[in-house]
Amino acid sequence: MQHVANLSASRAEPAPAAVAVEGVSHVYDGREGKVPALEDISMTVGAGRFVVIVGPSGCGKTSLLMMMAGLRRQTEGAILCAGRPILDPDPDRVGVVFQEASLFPWLTALDNIEFPLALRRAPREERRRRATEMLNLVGLQGFGARYPHELSGGMKQRVSIARGLVQDPPVLLMDEPFAALDEQTRMTMGHELLRIWSQTGKTVVFITHSLTEAVYLADEVLVMSARPGRIIDRILITLPRPRTYEMMATDVFGRLRDRIWQQIRKAA
Amino acid sequence: MTRPAPATVRWLILLALLVFWELMPRTGLIPELFLPSMTSTLRVLVADWREYAEALMVTLYEVGFAMLIACGFGILAGALVGGLALLRNLLLPVFSSLYAVPIVILYPIFTAWFGIGSESKILFAGVYGFFPVMLSTAAGIRTIDSQLLLAARSMGATLPQQIVRVIIPASIPTVLTGLRLGGALTIIGVVVSEMLTSAAGIGYLVTRYRTILDSAHVFGAILMILLMSILFDLAARAIERRTLTWQTAGRREKETREARPATPVAAPAA
Amino acid sequence: MTRLQIVLVRLALLVLMLGAWELLPRNGVVNPRLLPPLGDVLVMLADILGRPAVQEAILVTAAEVIVAFIIAVPVGAAVGVLIAENDYLGEIFKPLLFYVFSIPKSIFLPMFILIMGIGFQQKVAYAAFSTVFVVIMSATAAVESVRADHVLVARSYGATQMQVLTRVYVPSMMPFLLETLRISMIFNFTGVMIAEMYASRTGIGHLIANWGENFQMPQLFAGVILLAAVAIAFNETVRFLEARCSTWRT
Repeated sequence: MQHVANLSASRAEPAPAAVAVEGVSHVYDGREGKVPALEDISMTVGAGRFVVIVGPSGCGKTSLLMMMAGLRRQTEGAILCAGRPILDPDPDRVGVVFQEASLFPWLTALDNIEFPLALRRAPREERRRRATEMLNLVGLQGFGARYPHELSGGMKQRVSIARGLVQDPPVLLMDEPFAALDEQTRMTMGHELLRIWSQTGKTVVFITHSLTEAVYLADEVLVMSARPGRIIDRILITLPRPRTYEMMATDVFGRLRDRIWQQIRKAA
Repeated sequence: MTRPAPATVRWLILLALLVFWELMPRTGLIPELFLPSMTSTLRVLVADWREYAEALMVTLYEVGFAMLIACGFGILAGALVGGLALLRNLLLPVFSSLYAVPIVILYPIFTAWFGIGSESKILFAGVYGFFPVMLSTAAGIRTIDSQLLLAARSMGATLPQQIVRVIIPASIPTVLTGLRLGGALTIIGVVVSEMLTSAAGIGYLVTRYRTILDSAHVFGAILMILLMSILFDLAARAIERRTLTWQTAGRREKETREARPATPVAAPAA
Repeated sequence: MTRLQIVLVRLALLVLMLGAWELLPRNGVVNPRLLPPLGDVLVMLADILGRPAVQEAILVTAAEVIVAFIIAVPVGAAVGVLIAENDYLGEIFKPLLFYVFSIPKSIFLPMFILIMGIGFQQKVAYAAFSTVFVVIMSATAAVESVRADHVLVARSYGATQMQVLTRVYVPSMMPFLLETLRISMIFNFTGVMIAEMYASRTGIGHLIANWGENFQMPQLFAGVILLAAVAIAFNETVRFLEARCSTWRT
């Protein structure tokens, strides 16, 4: 019991906030009038932290992520990234990885990774060099010429992660990236993601339904309530790094997972 | 006993058809008036190749322009209808209703307006082929995976970039299928209109030789039309296959699982 | 936009088009000899519907359409089911059918005329011929739409062959059957029209071709409106039924 979880959130955090969400509320026009989706959400994600958001289905966690990515505009409040508000997609500051890998099926793996650079008309050699670097980073050496349909689900998500990182944004947003994968692949991918994260030092905001995945990956877990979504708990995961599969069998791991589960049950 | 491979059986069926075509008229079981034998058809084609070649040039000229009209306007209209929700809601159901009308009944209007020369054929066949091209283009744009657009936006793609780099490549498969169907229909449209009222073209030969009961010459013309449409189909499919290296087994599997009717934009191929 | 607004805008567009059809020729913006005003065409439509010759032609055409349909649909459906259910036959004939499908059927019209003359049976035979292939294709698709796992579930609960047929196959295929009927009717109608316009002594298609050749534009437009209205009415009726039968399809 060396690494007893410090459940009272007293540990000092790194100073500058990579992402700051300030009083964000969102209301959308549904079929039966206005539907409140998010209610007064505030949170800060310190630079280099790995933050996981969990919550019942339909609680608006994906909406929140889309707002952080500048893909959707909130009704109220502000989202800051490196101190400046996010109003539109800004791939220099924020990379996004989606649930379905969302690779363009008509491009090879390498061309998919190059895509964001091609949009900005980066010189050809630089694109190639950068994309190959990323391909190697995610462990896909030699698969650059394959088309998405020639890759397995896990490999597709690796390409997708490489694409999210290719412009070297300080923040990576991930919307249930491993939800469509089988259990074994999912575990491997989680482990790989932690390796990539520690190698690159990115700030990660990660959405998942899997409690095990949440505890395994996170520095801290934010629990959201059912609609309208609010943040109802913030749980620090003080398991040491690097994380290992063996930790999943420990009491601490179990207690943390249980605490999240209790919160979600209350929230639903 | 093992059964012969399906491909072998197919070739055997084709061979049997050719033998049947040659022998039935020769033995007199079917009168030459109804079915001229293969050799007499080919002999006629060789003997009068100049006449057939001239007629074919007229037809190909008409088909070429009609395809330009059908594809150009079809893709344009399809992109508008598929891309703009307003137009789509407003017009797409109307187009599908109009689809039931046999377009061939409009041909007399075209001859009355544009005469019996090539113009009426080109315009009529253009209209004939327009619908499948438009409907597939609209469908192609409408069925684009919205996640792909979202991903592109998250990477900061501007609207023109989204169109050029996502919408166009993503809709190419469906558009190509539409071009194949539309192209086949413009060929049919030209041939049918030439058969109905005209003074030139391969369809005109069919009708002229029919009225003087010269079956061998009629069959010669039929054979050429047959070749023309099969060659077009082969070429169109080859282009589809080459363009779509990425269109995958997985994707096709999904389509068969959803099992649509075999003719999604089936047109009354007269 | 709400449904009501869509319907209203559509109506407005329709009124605009019909209004243009009426006014442009009336004011001489468009040559009324080429495009007679809508009013004149509608008057002519009422007129020709009262003529015995036209009524007879309509009856002949209707008879041809119905008989050809009654022949083509069962034959095509039987062949289609056979091809779909028997893998071996399917592998042989499906590729062939795709080629046959892309061939213009109208080029064989002269052979029908040479063999059968230009009477009733030639129209029926040609129309059935031009329809049967699309029936085969749609019937094949309909059978293949029955999902193997549904059949498997039914079998695992002890359904008999007959129960599988009535409780899995028929409901799965229902929307496709109506779709088949609808599409075949479009082909069938087109087939009859082409045959009548090409060489005939009666039938509404023959009348239309004649009116066109004689430059009788009001009659021609009246005939086109009549045929288009019948075709659209049939099509919409079947589509309505399709929508009712397939509420479970998303």
